[in-house]
Amino acid sequence: MIADRIIEQGTLITQDGRTAVEVRIPWYRALPGSCIAGAALTVDGVSAPEGSLRWTMNNRTFSFEELVDETGEWWFPLDSAVLSGDLPVPDSRTEHEVRVDLKLYIPYIITDHGVLHIEEHDTKTMKVAQR
Amino acid sequence: MTSLGTPIQGVTLYSFTRAVHARQYDLDGLIRKVAAEGFGPGLEVIGFSSLRGFPDRIDDNFVGQFRDLVAEVDLVPTSLAVNVDTGIRRDRLMNHDELVEYMRKQIDVAARLGFPIARVQISLTPDAMESLLPVAEKYGVTLALEVHADQHGAHERVLALRDRYEKLDSPLLGFTADWGATVTGFAPSLLEAYRRRGASEALLGQVVDLWNGFYADGPPNTQKVHGERFGAFIGLAARNGRPDLGIDFAINGTGLFGPAPLDTWLEIMPWVRHVHGKFFGIDETGEEPSVPVRSLVRQLVENGYSGAISSEYEGWHWNNWQDPFDIIRGEQAVQRSAAANAGSAMITDASEARRILNSHLAQPVRG
Repeated sequence: MIADRIIEQGTLITQDGRTAVEVRIPWYRALPGSCIAGAALTVDGVSAPEGSLRWTMNNRTFSFEELVDETGEWWFPLDSAVLSGDLPVPDSRTEHEVRVDLKLYIPYIITDHGVLHIEEHDTKTMKVAQR
Repeated sequence: MTSLGTPIQGVTLYSFTRAVHARQYDLDGLIRKVAAEGFGPGLEVIGFSSLRGFPDRIDDNFVGQFRDLVAEVDLVPTSLAVNVDTGIRRDRLMNHDELVEYMRKQIDVAARLGFPIARVQISLTPDAMESLLPVAEKYGVTLALEVHADQHGAHERVLALRDRYEKLDSPLLGFTADWGATVTGFAPSLLEAYRRRGASEALLGQVVDLWNGFYADGPPNTQKVHGERFGAFIGLAARNGRPDLGIDFAINGTGLFGPAPLDTWLEIMPWVRHVHGKFFGIDETGEEPSVPVRSLVRQLVENGYSGAISSEYEGWHWNNWQDPFDIIRGEQAVQRSAAANAGSAMITDASEARRILNSHLAQPVRG
C-alpha cells in the first residue's frame, strides 16, 4: 500500500468554483473503473459535494455512478487520474491542506463478506493554481 | 531416491513496486537493471502491474520489443502473474464462462511474451482449473495456481485442487508455492513501520503475542478459522485505542504471514511448478528474520525441485527507508548459500536455466 503517494504534490488547480487534484493509485496493479468505488476531495476542511465529483482517466471523465459499470477503462499504476469537484478555493498565495479519500475494490480477493475493499487517504499541503 | 534439485535464481518485478510507482524506472529500465544486478536469470512480471493495456491492448509491436529486450539482456521469462478478478463487477461475481474467457486472454499474452508459466490464483476452483486445461494446452502454458497465505499446502481448498490435478494428470496444471504461507514470525520491519506510525511497544507486543499464538496453534485449515483470526487482530487494535491500525494488522497478520509448518509443502510438492521466494527483509546479520529461507531452499533441493524461485520482496508495502535492490541482493545470497549447504547450487547461468526450466516443466507429475 502506498497511501502517502495518492495526492500528487503541486497539482491543485481551481477554476470557476471547480477544483481538481491529480491522484495516484495506492496499489501495485491496474484497476478498472468499476473497482474505483468512491472518493472525497477536501480542501481546508471543506469537502466537495459528493454528486459534483468527477473522475478523469485515460482522457475520459466519469461520475462515480458511471464508474460502477466501467470495466473497459483501467487506472494504470504509473498514471495520474484527476479528481475534481465543486469547491471554491480563492486564495492562490497561501498554502492549502488537501485531503483525498479513496475507496477501492480488490477484485481478486473474495472474502466471506464479499469482494475486499480498501479505504485509503492522503493529506498534503500545497498552493492552488488559478486558471 | 530423489536426486537433488537445482532451483533457478530469479526475481519478480513486484519486488520493486515502490521504485516503479515513484517513476524511478520504466519497464525497459527496470528489466535492464535486474539483469545488470545479476538478479536473474529468471524474470517474473505481473501483467496488470507492468504492462499498460493488459491484456486487451498488448500489440505485436510491444511483444516484439519485450522479447528483443529479454534476449538482449539474457534473462529467462519464467512466470507471467495473471489475476483472477472474479469480483470485477459490482453487481455479482463473474460466472464460469466469463472467468474462463478472462483468464484465456491473459494466458494468450503470457504465451506471446514467451512466459512458459501463468501464475493463477486461489479463487479458481477445481472445476475452473479443469475448464482451463484446454486453454493451457492450446497455448502450451503451465497454469501454476499460487498457494499463498492464508491458504497453505495442506489447506482444504488446496488439497481439493491437488486431487483434481491428480485425476486430470496433466503436466500443465500445478502450483506456485509462495513462502509467505510458511512464515515463522511477524516481520520486524513491519513492527518498525507501526512504531513510526505511533504504535506503542505494549500494543506491538500484543500483536506479536497474538500472531505467535496462531503460529503455535497451526495454520487455518478452513476459511472460518481464517475469518476468526482476521477479526482477532481488528479487535486487538480497537481495544488498544488504535482502530485505524486494525485492518492493517489483520491483512498482514493473516494474509502475508502464514503460520503453516514447512512440511505442509510436501502435500503438493510434486505439483509445484514455480516458487515465489516471498520475504520481508534482511537483518543486520544478513538473514531473513521471519521467513525460513534456508530451510525452504533445502526442502526444495532435497525434493528434487529444479524450477525457478522468484525472489519476491514484499516489505515494500511499509518499508520506505531501505533500498529494495540491496534487500534482494541480500536475500538471493542467502538462497545461494542455502542451496550450497544442501549439497546443490542455484542456477544463475541463463542458458543452463533455459535447459533446466524446459525439462522441469515438461516433466509429468508423479504424485
